Amino acid sequence: MNSTDIQIALCGSAGDGTIAAGDILRNAVAALGYRVICFDVYPPEIRGFGKCISRVRITTEQTYALKRQSDLLISLDDSHAIPHAGEVRTDGAIIYESKPVGHCPEGSHMSSHILPGQIPYGIPLRELAEKATGGARSRNLVVLGVIAGLLGFSPVPFQKIIEKKFAKQGPAVVSRNQAGFQSGYDVGVNTFKLDNVFCVPQESNPAAGKVVMLSGNAAVVQGCMDAELDTFFGYPITPATTIMERLATAMPKRGRRLLQTEDEISAIAATIGAGYTGARSATATSGPGLALMAEMLGLATMAEIPCVIFVSQRGGPSTGMPTKTEQSDLNAALYGSPGDSQRIVIAPTNVEGCYRCAGKAFEMSEQYQTPVIVLLDLYLSNRYETVTLTESGPPFTLNANKPLRRLEAGESYQRYAFTEDGVSPRAVPGDSGCMHVVTGLEHNTLGRPNDSEEIHTAMSRKRHDKLLAALHHPDFTVTKRIGHSGRIKVGILAWGSTFGECLEAMFMAHAEGISCASMKVVMLSPFPVEAVTQFMDDCDQVLVPEVNYEGQFAQLLQGILARPVVRLSRVPGSPMPVELILSEIRRLAGVV
Amino acid sequence: MTLMEKHVFVDEKLQEVRESGRLEYRSRSLPTWCPGCGYFAIVEGLTHACNTMGIAADQAVVVSGIGCSSRFPFFVNLFGFHTRNGRVLPVATGIKTANDKLTVIGVGGDGDGFAIGGGHIAHAAKRNVDITYLLFDNGIYGLTKGQASPLSAIGLRTSTTPFENPERPLNPLMMLLSYGASWVGQAYAGQPDHLREMITQAIAHRGFSYLHILSPCVTFDKTSKTYTNLSMKVRKLPAKHDTSNLMEAMQQAQDLDNPAVGLYYQQFRPTLSDTFDQVIALSAGEGRGA
Ligand SMILES: Cc1ncc(C[n+]2csc(CCOP(=O)(O)OP(=O)(O)O)c2C)c(N)n1
Ligand code: SF4
Ligand SMILES: [Mg+2]
Repeated sequence: MNSTDIQIALCGSAGDGTIAAGDILRNAVAALGYRVICFDVYPPEIRGFGKCISRVRITTEQTYALKRQSDLLISLDDSHAIPHAGEVRTDGAIIYESKPVGHCPEGSHMSSHILPGQIPYGIPLRELAEKATGGARSRNLVVLGVIAGLLGFSPVPFQKIIEKKFAKQGPAVVSRNQAGFQSGYDVGVNTFKLDNVFCVPQESNPAAGKVVMLSGNAAVVQGCMDAELDTFFGYPITPATTIMERLATAMPKRGRRLLQTEDEISAIAATIGAGYTGARSATATSGPGLALMAEMLGLATMAEIPCVIFVSQRGGPSTGMPTKTEQSDLNAALYGSPGDSQRIVIAPTNVEGCYRCAGKAFEMSEQYQTPVIVLLDLYLSNRYETVTLTESGPPFTLNANKPLRRLEAGESYQRYAFTEDGVSPRAVPGDSGCMHVVTGLEHNTLGRPNDSEEIHTAMSRKRHDKLLAALHHPDFTVTKRIGHSGRIKVGILAWGSTFGECLEAMFMAHAEGISCASMKVVMLSPFPVEAVTQFMDDCDQVLVPEVNYEGQFAQLLQGILARPVVRLSRVPGSPMPVELILSEIRRLAGVV
Repeated sequence: MTLMEKHVFVDEKLQEVRESGRLEYRSRSLPTWCPGCGYFAIVEGLTHACNTMGIAADQAVVVSGIGCSSRFPFFVNLFGFHTRNGRVLPVATGIKTANDKLTVIGVGGDGDGFAIGGGHIAHAAKRNVDITYLLFDNGIYGLTKGQASPLSAIGLRTSTTPFENPERPLNPLMMLLSYGASWVGQAYAGQPDHLREMITQAIAHRGFSYLHILSPCVTFDKTSKTYTNLSMKVRKLPAKHDTSNLMEAMQQAQDLDNPAVGLYYQQFRPTLSDTFDQVIALSAGEGRGA
């Protein structure tokens, strides 16, 4: 074996430091040169004893999703972890507290839930922590040490990260926590090994470029900064909040302005105001906020004003499930506005895509003078992946505005002049002699209100047709086919974060000899009719997995292409299970 | 002054207006308002103010919402943004955030500002966004043909309150004063000279300026905020009124029966742009401690 593929699940209750341990683990192994995908699940309440799980998949080659089964489960709280014992594969291991304090009623201890074939590692985590640090709080670091020792990870990056994390609290705290890690590590290296979990030491990473670990939202922020976002306006809402929080630190350092507004209506209104003024401007929200923004988005469409809206979806409708993932705001993103809501909607499928889509969104909104919605979801916003950034600098155009021509003497500036590509050169306040009014009313080329049939038809066409060029936007992946080429039994068509699970399932199906391919559709509006039709032409059957109840993407496909597809719509509040996609592929391929 | 000097001859007046340069700020579109509507005086007032202040037409933006009043940007020769019902202030905030150098003037009706857009006023005032907000108060929804507004008088009959408006109106000046607006004034469209003076002062103030303009809707209100009624009721703020005294300003604002025109309150404090600069300085490690 010369490649690594280990998934570790850490489970505890809020306050056990579960998520913090997951964070150290993923950063440490990324520093060791592995590819990483992680996703944390935590309760909506800030305090209390809700369940936290941090899952980290560590691999040599890039992968696309978490595995359903983990190789290693760590219990920091048996009451929460016991239901997850079955998540550990046969021959996988479970690490748990071997010396719980106090009385332990029957069935409440992990040891009685370990399945045949699973390897139990009962370790006195509390005792080790107390011995090394004088307290039980660093149990999470002890357990990290155990993992590192057991799997053969170098302790160096772990110790470095712990040092950085606690540096503010002084050297005594740092060394205490490092001692906690070390005591676990010593136990780990001296424990008999898992003979089927391989951890191949990584050479220095061969890929050209800098490898960084980012969450989806952090990648969005990086994309915004690299595209030189000027202004940002937002109102906090899970799971989009961390975009604003990160920008609040990053933007002022570059002399940029961020404002927390009184609501989402104000956020989008100010974003549009800044866009009208010529600034690169954005806001970020989730479904409920998108609903409030709908009316103003129509204004941006009508007045042809660039603006970028990041929408990270969560379970809906209404307040729904704020800390659970879902892909159910597709319809709202595509259509949520009065009138014909021409706009660009793009949805990245992984963390690297978050970076690219964020940067490209500014380019597109300027070039086509339209609102651009970037659709994310909680799973994508919050999951971490190692991403390779090109060393040659950001791949974004920093000014995509159509150049403005000097006016002839006595000429009135025509903000909405008809042009071949439908895009009219845009003057902004301050451009000398170009005074004009933009309006949400239907208007003529000068921007004057006009509701004649000819004007409304011609302007509707202009707003619609100018967007079609986005389907060929330079250096942007609108659709991508992966897997077998030529005629295939099963084609998987997917969008957004679910595409990773589709790829995992597809590769498993390939291994079973099933002929199949996947296509991701990154641009959802305007719709890439040609590319998707071509793909469907090659498929005997088309499977559309998505995390919503109504099958919104399937409806879109069927509405535009009028072809049958097989829907796989589920609302588990978590990513689509790979096994479920796989079994659908098998069924459609006639393999039982 | 002899009797002769009081005569105004049309051609002389026209010449004077042309020479003043004020027409440069008028657009070629004729206002679509009903003859007699108070809003004409406000267009006059703003073009006058721009002219006296020497504001470059391409360095100013008029932002409006939706309503008869919000058609305003089409009638002046400045940059204009006719936005959505109630969104004057957040759009203006975005514009000012993106470009400090612009003179930004928000205009809108009483419905636009205090009903659908009411949630935004407190925040624009609190942030002290350096814009001027001209609120056209006709106490009615003009564009939608005469429904009650949050500033309609109690007892007013409108198409949606056919048996008399049962609700008492808001007190906008009290609201703005308590929100912390840094310049609060009132004017009356029936006193155009004073109105233009107030608009000029409002624009000159550095910070959020709120000018409440009483302006009759001659078509849909025949009984309440009419020229006849307002001309009888409107008074001037007392000569000794102290514009730095918030309590005194609030006391004057209590009088809704005899509204006083003039500058109620003015305060100098950092604007939104200043606070952005401050955050930027702090983020660079400057301005901390010391
Ligand atoms: C979201 C929305 N709701 C309602 C309307 C209809 N509408 C247009 S203007 C207006 C009220 C205007 O009243 P006011 O702001 O006082 O302006 P006026 O016409 O009196 O100058 C209303 C309710 C609209 N255009 N948009
Ligand atoms: S309806 Fe009233 S507010 Fe509207 S233009 Fe006519 S007079 Fe003015
Ligand atoms: Mg009104």
